[in-house]
Order: sequence, then structure tokens, then C-alpha cells
Amino acid sequence: MKDRNNTGWMFVLPAVLLLSLVGLIPLITVINYSFFEIFILDQRFWVGTEWYSEIISSGRFWSSFGYSLLFSTLALSIQIPLGVAISVCIPRQQVWVGLTLAVVALPLLVPWNMIPSLWLSLLDPDTGIFGRIMAAYGWSADWKLSVAQTWAVIIAMDTWHWTSLVVILCYSALTTIPASYYQAADIDGAGPWQVFRHIQLPKLQHVLLMAILLRFMDSFMIYTEAFPINAGGPDGATMFLAVDLGEDIKAFNYGPSAARSVLYFLIVLTVAWLFIKAQNQLDAPQTTEAN
Amino acid sequence: MVLRALPLLKTTILMTFVVFACLPLVQMTIISFVATLPQADTKVGSLTLGNYANILANPNLFSAFGNSIAYVLINIGITVPVAIPAAYAFSRMSFLGDKHLFFAFIAFRITPPVVLTLPIFQLFSALGIVNSVFGIALAHCLFNLPISIWILQGFISAIPKELDETAFLDGYSRPRFMWTVLLPQIAPGIAVTAFFCFMFSWVEVVFARILTTTNGKPISMAINALFGFQTDIGLVMAVTVASMIPGAVLLFSMRNHLSRGFRVGKV
Repeated sequence: MKDRNNTGWMFVLPAVLLLSLVGLIPLITVINYSFFEIFILDQRFWVGTEWYSEIISSGRFWSSFGYSLLFSTLALSIQIPLGVAISVCIPRQQVWVGLTLAVVALPLLVPWNMIPSLWLSLLDPDTGIFGRIMAAYGWSADWKLSVAQTWAVIIAMDTWHWTSLVVILCYSALTTIPASYYQAADIDGAGPWQVFRHIQLPKLQHVLLMAILLRFMDSFMIYTEAFPINAGGPDGATMFLAVDLGEDIKAFNYGPSAARSVLYFLIVLTVAWLFIKAQNQLDAPQTTEAN
Repeated sequence: MVLRALPLLKTTILMTFVVFACLPLVQMTIISFVATLPQADTKVGSLTLGNYANILANPNLFSAFGNSIAYVLINIGITVPVAIPAAYAFSRMSFLGDKHLFFAFIAFRITPPVVLTLPIFQLFSALGIVNSVFGIALAHCLFNLPISIWILQGFISAIPKELDETAFLDGYSRPRFMWTVLLPQIAPGIAVTAFFCFMFSWVEVVFARILTTTNGKPISMAINALFGFQTDIGLVMAVTVASMIPGAVLLFSMRNHLSRGFRVGKV
């Protein structure tokens, strides 16, 4: 059992103050702006919920919402299983394991605005490693005209960028499994699938939940990496939610972009709430075992 | 037979993934050693160290490295000391609204920076910390602080509660216990946390872009500034390679902590 007293607040107070400054106050400002027509910041007119009804009724918002949802679904359904599979493939005790992990994590260190440039040069049919291989098989340089190929490039890029995080999280959870579990499984004659299903997967649950949360939100709101690949095209087919918002902010549409931001924050809250629910669900049957 | 082949299969899958992870980086490294703009003494397309020499010759790039290192260090310096007591509270104590507070922290971690760019810019202008490394360091706390609390509370929860109780029986106060007993125990956790802060902060560009228009540009923005009418892509790639070196050094020195495993738990 935990101690039940409110001195805990003294310990979290600095964190609360800091997040109020960089999170809560800006958020309240955005909510405030979302109800105004703003030409310059000192001059504004109350417009009520006009921006909201405009956004909700616009096809553009819903299409970018749909694209983002599809993108996140694809990204998660590739990256999570792949990350788990790779982490299971990493041996448990070998000298070179640390080195492999470090190499695998390298994509996480590339500045985000450089990731599209990297991939564009990789795919270049004249100078890129991948582009030249593909060109030999008749792949042409005008992939930017094709919706499917643009999507494939962005998905591949995101998978390259972020699967490592899933691998690191999963592997770190796997290393907390005592060796005796594996020995017991061996004695019982459990096959590799049974070991994965009954020993490794249960240990991965918490970490996977975290990985899914982080990956879902970061891919759902993909911004920096997606735009330069094809400028939201072809025909707006890669105009994701955050890319659209970014364009709005660049155009200085304060009111509408604030309303949009508030809508996004509501999505964030929903996802966080689902996450907490899922976490409680995971913990419920395990509490007796854990204590 | 299938079982016999399993280790081999696993190694093959792993190595394929390693190659996939390295491929764009290899491309980048190759281009960084190629002259891509016509210059007096080198032909376009020839191998050269000139791109790297140009980094050293360009004071903007040089100071950008300094800025990046400075804001990341400031960010870690703010985040970790604030996160440790909070993580301890979430791990060991139950207080009014703790679950809701944790929920709020999670929500801020997953809030996309682009949503908050405008008000953060205004707020930081009012506070006079735009165009400085301190502004970026503070803005990045938005996502680094929640994730740090999360990672650290996993480490603290892994320490038996008896350790606390014995210390209190010995007459330690909570702050003194944390300083003298807890901190050495969670040292690997602090290292992992600092690494994650570094990783998420070093590569972030949305806040970095809006908070540095004239001064204090980090390395990612300095690279952006290189794009123009005639982009020296070789130099761009060389700067990117260079920008990854500090992280790579950290990563290699941390590799055994990463593989020893850290816990991410519940509250």
C-alpha cells in the first residue's frame, strides 16, 4: 500500500508549476483566441463558436482527419509488430547486444527537419542507393505524382525513424524477465511461440501500451517530416491534420487555427483517457499478483 | 529442424533491420564526403573533406552546435531535478488527485507542439526569453518532463519499499532519504532519463523554429538556413552527420544501460 497523505503535492508542485507555465497557460490562451476574429493581436472581435462550426462542417478538416487516422493505423500496424519482432530477435546476453541497440537507435538522433531530405536523397534515381536499385527495376522518378507511392515513402520513412523506439522499449521490458522463467518453460517443453505468448508478451504489456500511445499521437500529428516529402500532395492526399494546422498558422489565421488547436487538444484528451482506461484494465487482474 | 534454425532466423531478421536502419545514414555519410557545388579546387562529384572543413569555417554553424548543446543541457538541468521528487511521489504516495494529475501529464506529453506554438511564442516574448537557448530549454519541458517522470517512477517503483521504511526508522527525513539513499539507487535511471531528454530535445524543430528567429538558433535550424537558391547538399549532409555525433557518443556510452532494461510502470 502507498501512504495516504497530501504531502505528495509538495513533491509534485515544481512539476505542476513548470507544466502550468509551458502547457496550461498557453492552452488557455489558445482556447480564448478560438472564440475571436483576430486581425492583429490587440484588435479582436468576439465571434462565438463560428470557427468551430466552420471547421466541423468543412470537408477539408474531415479529409485530413481521415488521412491522419489512416496514416496512424498503418504506421502502428507496421511499427508495433515489427518492433516486438525485432526485440524478440535480440539475444539476451551477448557482448554485441549493446552495440546493436545503439546502432538501431541511431535514426532517433537525426534532426527531424533533415529526415525528409535524407529520404529524398536516398530515393533519388541518379544518386540515391535505394533509388538506383529501384530504377534498375523500372521504378520511375515521378513517384511524387502517385498517391500510393507517396504514402509508401512516408510510411517507410516513419517506420525507419520510429521503430527503434518500440524496439528499445520492448527490449528493455524483455530483459526484466528472470532467466528462471525460460528454464521452467524449457522443462515444460514449451515451444518458441508458447514462450512468446505466455512469458514474453505479458511482460511487454505495459511498455507496449506506452509505445502505442506515443506512436499513435506522434504519427497522428505528424508535421515536420511529412510536409517536405511532397508538400501535402498529390492533390492533398498527404495533408495530415498537423500539416494543415501548420499552414493555417503560417497564414496568420489566429482565430481559426486556435479553434483547430482546441479540437486537436480534445482529441489528445480522448486518447489520453483511453490510455488510462487501458492501463487500469491491465493492472486490475494483476494487483494481487504484484503485491 | 525448425527449432534448430530459429537462432539463425532471428539473427537474420535482426541484421536485416540493422541494415535498413543504417541505409539512409550510409547515404547521408557518403554524400557528406562528396563535393556537390562547383568550387575552385574540387570538381563536383569528387570525394572531399571540404564539407567538413566548411563547417569549421562557418561561425554560424559552429555557434549553432554550442546553442544546441547549451539548451539540451539546460533542459536536462531543469527536467531531472523537477522530475525526481514528482516521480517519487507518484511511486510511493497517494494524494488527492494523483490519478488526475498523472492523466494531465500524459495529455501534455502527447499534445503536439504545433498546437501551442503561437501562445508559447507570445508568452516567452513577454518573459523576454525568445531568441535564447533558455526559451527552447523551457519549452521542451512540455514533453520531456512528463516522460522523465514516467521513466523515473518505473525505476523508483522497482526499489523495495523496505528501503524507505528502514531509512525512516533510522531517523532520515524524506528529503534527506531521497538525497543520500534514493539517488544512488536510481542513478542508472537518471542516466536513461537524461538520455531520453537529450534525444527528444536535440532533434525537435517546431519550438526551436518559432523561438529562434534571430539568435540562439540550434543546429537543426542552422541546417534549415543552408537550404536556398543553390543548396550545397554535401554541406547539409555533413552538418547532419556532425549533429548526430554527440548523440551517438552518448548512445554508445549508454548502451549497456539501455540493454539492461528499464521499467516503465503504472502509477
